[in-house]
Amino acid sequence: MIGQPGSTLWLLGHELRLNWRGLMGGRRGAWRLGSLAFVGVMLLIGGFPVAWMLRGVEAPVNNLSILAADIVSLLVFSLMLSQTLAGATDALYTRGDLDLLFSSPLDPRKALTVRFASLAASAFASFGLLATPLLLPLALFGHWRWLALLPTLAALALTASGAGLALAVALFALIGPRRTRTVAQVLAAIIGAAFFLASQTRTLLGAKSGGLAMQVVGAAADPRLRLPPLADWPLRAALGDPLPLAAMLTVGAVIFLGVTAWLSRRFADDATSAQGADAGQRRRPGRTLGPFAGGVFAATFLKEIRLLRRDAALLAQVLLRTLYLLPATFLVLRNAGGHSTYALAAGAAGIAFLAGQVASSLTWITVSAEEAPELIACAPAPAASVRAAKLLAGLAPLIAMLVIPLGVLIWLSPVTGVAASAGAAADAIAAGLINAWHPAPGKRSEFRRRRTGSILTGLALLAVSLLIAAATGLAALASPFALAPAALAVVALFALRRSPGQIADALAARS
Amino acid sequence: MVDALVLDDLTKVFATTPAVDHLSLRVRAGELYALLGPNGAGKTTTLRMVAGLLKPTSGSIRVFGVDALADPAAAKQMIAWAPDEPMLYDRLTPMEYLEFVAGLWGVEPKEGRARAELLLKFLGLWDQRDQRCEAFSRGMKQKAALAGALIHEPRMLILDEPLTGLDAAVSRQVKDLLQARVRGGATVILTTHILEVAERIADRIGIIQAGKLLAEGTLAELRERAGELQGTLEDVFLELTGEGDAGHEVGADA
Repeated sequence: MIGQPGSTLWLLGHELRLNWRGLMGGRRGAWRLGSLAFVGVMLLIGGFPVAWMLRGVEAPVNNLSILAADIVSLLVFSLMLSQTLAGATDALYTRGDLDLLFSSPLDPRKALTVRFASLAASAFASFGLLATPLLLPLALFGHWRWLALLPTLAALALTASGAGLALAVALFALIGPRRTRTVAQVLAAIIGAAFFLASQTRTLLGAKSGGLAMQVVGAAADPRLRLPPLADWPLRAALGDPLPLAAMLTVGAVIFLGVTAWLSRRFADDATSAQGADAGQRRRPGRTLGPFAGGVFAATFLKEIRLLRRDAALLAQVLLRTLYLLPATFLVLRNAGGHSTYALAAGAAGIAFLAGQVASSLTWITVSAEEAPELIACAPAPAASVRAAKLLAGLAPLIAMLVIPLGVLIWLSPVTGVAASAGAAADAIAAGLINAWHPAPGKRSEFRRRRTGSILTGLALLAVSLLIAAATGLAALASPFALAPAALAVVALFALRRSPGQIADALAARS
Repeated sequence: MVDALVLDDLTKVFATTPAVDHLSLRVRAGELYALLGPNGAGKTTTLRMVAGLLKPTSGSIRVFGVDALADPAAAKQMIAWAPDEPMLYDRLTPMEYLEFVAGLWGVEPKEGRARAELLLKFLGLWDQRDQRCEAFSRGMKQKAALAGALIHEPRMLILDEPLTGLDAAVSRQVKDLLQARVRGGATVILTTHILEVAERIADRIGIIQAGKLLAEGTLAELRERAGELQGTLEDVFLELTGEGDAGHEVGADA
């Protein structure tokens, strides 16, 4: 460890070590390291031809390039902000070693400053690691000043960390600790999705995006356009102009240090009060005083629905995944050609596939991410009833999400609507059943990193989903060929089917 | 009268290591039986097999005459299992938790509602009935889990370290509740490292080590067996398991 025990440097070393082990630890650590190295090498290889082409080319500093740099900076800043906001609220709740640090004679502000510095470092690393392999060849071919992009990113990361902390504390004061966490997590997911959608403008808007881009470029290139002062800072800093670079770094450091110095005491208090966030908060007592739900199915269904409803962040994470499918859906719809029947059929297939994907996530949560598996296991409840209730609870949000769009589709185009509804139901049920037959136990908090039963199961899930989507598309065209992929999907489902005994044995083998 | 629990030649082998090694014991109906043993003796593994959470490698388990391996649902209907880490849902309130557990055991909704109210009042959780469990202290979580174990009025209650981490008041409450259940005819089997508790509330005590039953009986019988006629249960336990020798040696070295 570096530095004197108890010093800021020593604490920072401790944080970095924890982060590193978090990234590289576990069974997938080596795989993660290998993937990172592979991506890095690929970028480095791709960077050389680009650097060769750009040798001797000076980056233009005009309205257009300034605006482009500003927009990119804003997007990067938003993503960093979402990262640090989620990190700051996690620090409030998932305290980890904060209890240990706060109980030591260390100044809590020092501990928090280091924790936030590590958040800033993580935010920087996400982009810095991506940019470095591209910048190195550029530096070798004469553009060594462009390495200044890295400190520019560091300045953005520092500013985003300060803003994230301030936002977390402000939300905590305004809406309370529990909602802060939910809002922060949902906000982070939305910013992430917005970033992705912005990067897909061309796919979403198709040919129109070209015209729009030309208009924007034309407006930006207009010499009469007067940009606000300091708008050129990000571009100039990234190109290695010392003054804007130093200014951006200074602003970032001042915001970060100022906010942490000003708010870390407050944050430490908030972290303490977050521990008892629910204490004393009553939840509409009248609602739970009615008679109990009777029977295994009703009780399990109700419990799963309550747990899903109360984990808004997780639900948002799942439902926002549908946004990631939008560009592909738009692409299919557009490329389906001028004939609207084909476009509609492609749309129906897209809806079925989307339903399967969302159902797969939701049923993993209800079936595999059981928080008290032993309670269920030691109960005399029939496993089939428990499983059926969990599957239905997992599909309920999807039904709520699709019922109106499908209703509208049926009204507008009955054949397509019915095909899309049947396909969506079939794809969702198939995904749920595969999850139930091949459960992969995990925690809800590990949703993003969840394991599927096996690579084969994951591929089978995808194949079945695609087959049903294809059958849906063909059914929307009233084609008898729809029976072929449908039959294949049924055969695949039969092959994947497991008896309750086999499921129990598989679970026992995993534990 | 049928014994509450009969384990016959019960064995559980993990890989090649036997955690429970040909264990045979009987727990009478209506008694409070304490299963003691050093760390890693096989207590929890034994109880998890009784609760139907682990399949034994060999041997048999009978719960009130029912073969728990042949008819696990019938056996589970009579059992409640409460591990040391409460099996709770952070985002449910205690009332909702009890509603769920009552549903799993098929308790009539009206009956379940009445029992939940009674249990939450008795355990001092009535005022928190509509708060989510995530903000509860360990003691409150333990009490909510205990209420869940009792909501279906089990004939046999199996508790793994039920008093770990509880303060004196909660600990007393739990002990009183267990004794009240035994007086009401239920059978309680518990493991504990707090030997004073076993000494004070257990009718009979079983001591296991390395998966085998070392000794079993009332405190007086165990004292006699260990040749510690005036000794505490701690003395008896250390004598029978030989665990005290290591401490003596370390003390002597120091």
